[in-house]
Amino acid sequence: MGIFDRNTAEHETAPINVTVERGAVAFFAETIGETNPIHFDADAARAAGHPDVVTPATYPVVIEMAAAKIGKRNGVPDTQDVIKVDNRYVLHGSESYTYHGPIYAGDTVEVISRVKSFADAKGGALEIANLELEIRHPERGVLAVAERTLIHRLPKEKQG
Amino acid sequence: MTISPETAAVGDTLPTITFGPVSRTKLALYAGASGDHNPIHIDLDFVKRAGLDDVFAHGMLSMAQLGRVATDWAGSDRLRGLSTRFTAITPVNATVTCEGRVTERFEQDGTPMLRVALTAKVDDGTQTLRGEALVSAA
Repeated sequence: MGIFDRNTAEHETAPINVTVERGAVAFFAETIGETNPIHFDADAARAAGHPDVVTPATYPVVIEMAAAKIGKRNGVPDTQDVIKVDNRYVLHGSESYTYHGPIYAGDTVEVISRVKSFADAKGGALEIANLELEIRHPERGVLAVAERTLIHRLPKEKQG
Repeated sequence: MTISPETAAVGDTLPTITFGPVSRTKLALYAGASGDHNPIHIDLDFVKRAGLDDVFAHGMLSMAQLGRVATDWAGSDRLRGLSTRFTAITPVNATVTCEGRVTERFEQDGTPMLRVALTAKVDDGTQTLRGEALVSAA
């Protein structure tokens, strides 16, 4: 049973190019309460030796959402649609980032999204999807890898 | 006393960050800023139809605070990893308190590293996130 489409394990989206926009980074940084100006003020970032504002630690999730929207405009379903996430029942189980280099405003990065695997938990009351995201720069290589688990709290009729 | 990554020892604590109360306006702004438009965080009509009493905060908004605990202290340049489990939902209007504590000093590819345990808690003491940061101590 369950809701996730388990046939999508190992699905990978073709790379989608995302340009990291300074205004979007600053809006995100201010929304999360960031106080270090290297994340929202280009002059402060340059004074600290960076080429432009530096994305905050959890910004890969924003780049991912941007890639999903660009994909959809071009008829490519995003991973949440691919695995058939039901927003009524979904919970975010875990999120993990490995950083290989900074991501700056002005960068155009390639985003690749992968479905890794599925699992059941709590005697079938929960189901888990394991996902991975890679953010690459054409010259600087892999900048960040994200791993995520999404959990469906299954309604009774979807259990078993 | 201020500690730095170069000299930090196991058991040292990082400066705490308190965020909130996380209002409905903040959740709407975070939805827009992050691109996560899941209505479970912003649309009470959707939430009621799903059988819940109220919206709840994006887990990623609290993870962003764990990131700030690490980078405010060590600097963005030193952050090598950030991970968390979301152990409970964060109710709307909660105030989130985020703490970090050094749990290990080790070497990775010849570079001194620190493992920092991170937690987020809401007003009644419920732990909402449990994670860690890997920070270069070089």
